[in-house]
Amino acid sequence: MSKDQIKLRFIFPALLGVLFFFMGSANLFAQKAKKNKARINVEYVKLMNGKIFFNIKASSRVNKETIALSDIDLTVYNVLDDEDNELGTARTNAKGESSFSLNSINAIKADSTDTYHILVAFAGNDAFKKAKKSIEFKDANIEAKIITKDSVNYVTAVLTDAKTNEPIADQSLKVQVQRLFKPLRIGKEFNSTDEAGAISVAVEEGIPGLDGNLTLEVVLNESDDYGTIKSMVTGNIGVAFVDESTYDQRTMWSPRGKTPYFLLFLTYSGIFVAWGFIVYLFINLFKLSKS
Amino acid sequence: MKTKEQHIQSLIPKKFNKIEIIWMSFLLLIIFAGFLAYVDQLINGLEVTNLNDYSLWGIYISNFVFFVATSFVGSATVAILRLTKNEWRTPLVRIAEIISLAAIAMAGITIVIDLGRPDRMLNTFIYARFQSPITWDVIIIPTYLVVSFLLLYFPLLPDLAIMKKYYEKSSPKLSKWYGKLSLNWTGNEAQKALLQKSVTIVAILILPLGLILQTIDAWLFSTTYRIGWKSTNFGPYFISGAFVAGIGALVVSIYFVRKMKNLEDYITDFHFDKLGKLMALACMIYLYFNVNEYLIPAYASTLNEETHLNTLFTGHYSTIFWFVTIGGLIIPIFLLMFKKGRKPLPMLLIGLLVVVASWWKRYIIVTPTLLHPYLPIQGVPESWREYFPSLHEWLITASNLATALLIFTLLIRYLPVVPIQRTIDEEALLTTDKKIES
Repeated sequence: MSKDQIKLRFIFPALLGVLFFFMGSANLFAQKAKKNKARINVEYVKLMNGKIFFNIKASSRVNKETIALSDIDLTVYNVLDDEDNELGTARTNAKGESSFSLNSINAIKADSTDTYHILVAFAGNDAFKKAKKSIEFKDANIEAKIITKDSVNYVTAVLTDAKTNEPIADQSLKVQVQRLFKPLRIGKEFNSTDEAGAISVAVEEGIPGLDGNLTLEVVLNESDDYGTIKSMVTGNIGVAFVDESTYDQRTMWSPRGKTPYFLLFLTYSGIFVAWGFIVYLFINLFKLSKS
Repeated sequence: MKTKEQHIQSLIPKKFNKIEIIWMSFLLLIIFAGFLAYVDQLINGLEVTNLNDYSLWGIYISNFVFFVATSFVGSATVAILRLTKNEWRTPLVRIAEIISLAAIAMAGITIVIDLGRPDRMLNTFIYARFQSPITWDVIIIPTYLVVSFLLLYFPLLPDLAIMKKYYEKSSPKLSKWYGKLSLNWTGNEAQKALLQKSVTIVAILILPLGLILQTIDAWLFSTTYRIGWKSTNFGPYFISGAFVAGIGALVVSIYFVRKMKNLEDYITDFHFDKLGKLMALACMIYLYFNVNEYLIPAYASTLNEETHLNTLFTGHYSTIFWFVTIGGLIIPIFLLMFKKGRKPLPMLLIGLLVVVASWWKRYIIVTPTLLHPYLPIQGVPESWREYFPSLHEWLITASNLATALLIFTLLIRYLPVVPIQRTIDEEALLTTDKKIES
């Protein structure tokens, strides 16, 4: 037996031993690692004369902390007669959020009771178990208008069932003015629809808007039966504010291309005076070397 | 009375002795450690520091402000004493000029160090916005650096010519260098007149530039709408603070240079006494501005001001605050009132105290304000509410200080720290006056 053969006799079992040792380590194999439970939240949102979409959020409780599940694929189904019809997939962002849009409500089908069934499923991955969440909702509409009665502006809205066109009573609607960062709530906190499915809220005077235009929103928020429905109506019932922008002026806060002339003059004067003397002094050094 | 040759022999730069070599090695070691830390910072970015979204200016900016303040010694002592014809300045001015040059050079470098991407320094020129005090700073620092160099260089010309002659036989190579640097100085009347004119211009020029530099440095802070910075007092407050830091650095430097180079005949107790009085004046002016800076906000006592002042007076930074106020100002003023306090050794101790306090003063100007933002962001990490420099920051800071000291040490190795020609001329003038009197 040669020396090399003897070496191989020991090296080969040793390598196998190392391999088997690490095979025993559960951490190297994701499928054996403990998986965390994934949670999915789905909200149906309908903007009147606008988009229809589902807001989806995926999270998990890990070490007593809720973390967002980012970059995971979720499949959206329209469930009808125990059959799952795939509508498409959505991927979550860094906050674990995703939005799945429908072209129109006709893209999904309702059951015999006019109820839509939507299922959002997560297939699971190395770290999280598979999960799903289903929601049910009926299609409803909000029709909002601005009316003026006795010099007072009101926003009126009617909530109706989209299929039967019947008014929906006893639903709480929010009325708010669209603002840049957060809407400004007006009227009472809860405006319950009457038997005609209607509400009416007075719009107070003096609310500023661009050219006096105010966009008012009437919102049915996260209803168990109808999801979230938002209707917007714009009217010239606000106070026009004057745009006092200094964007085109030369100010201390404008970009460098719009530096005030006095500042340019002062700075350049200072630079020319100081560096003028410096150049003169260097000329003197040159003269000294030649004298 | 010494002869011309004796003066030259006494004042000509000499080779490093053992202690100076050890000192240089020590400085190089610190610089090397700081260099390694900086390379790591360059590779990994500012995450190696403890700077964060709140404390975006930390120890590096404290260093920058300290160096800028110290560089004021060139304007404060050299220019003022020269223009007011204070003759006792002669043996001190060159050291002040060297400190000024080393400090302003390091101030510029410190700003580059503070940038995570040093190549972006160019953007401050390319995209300069004249409304920003940072742009003014970018303009004034190189300007002050060049003028500080000229302030050192012009009066050096006659001495460089002396050294050229002195080393002609013993070290021809060195003599050649001194010859080139002396710009063929022969001391003829035309050269003397031109030199005198140039020195006067540079002495006048550096004074407003020094004031502008310190003011812009102050405006970097006071033009931001921040508690502890937003003060109309900040310009003179910084100028007077720079006056203190600069003279403190000068006193410490003069003590050691005098000792190491055996200059007791040239830098006497009289000079320390004069400098002591100047330092006492500087400290008193600075104390006055300190009172203005803290008393009025404390009196008005708005919520934000109160929070900030409590941090300084009784809170997290109170130890440093009272050290810099009492140790760096009140005790020096008190000790400098006595003649014994203005002797060389007490002056050294006071100078050291003032310099250390000056550095910490900049630290508590920069940091506590940053930790009290107007818009507290909910859910910010707890670590953002505190700041203490990381090891990288300390190493780089120590390296910066060591580099300034290295520049200083090298310059005093190759340049005469006491002006030779001027000392000879002054003594000749004194002898002539005595002859006329007799």
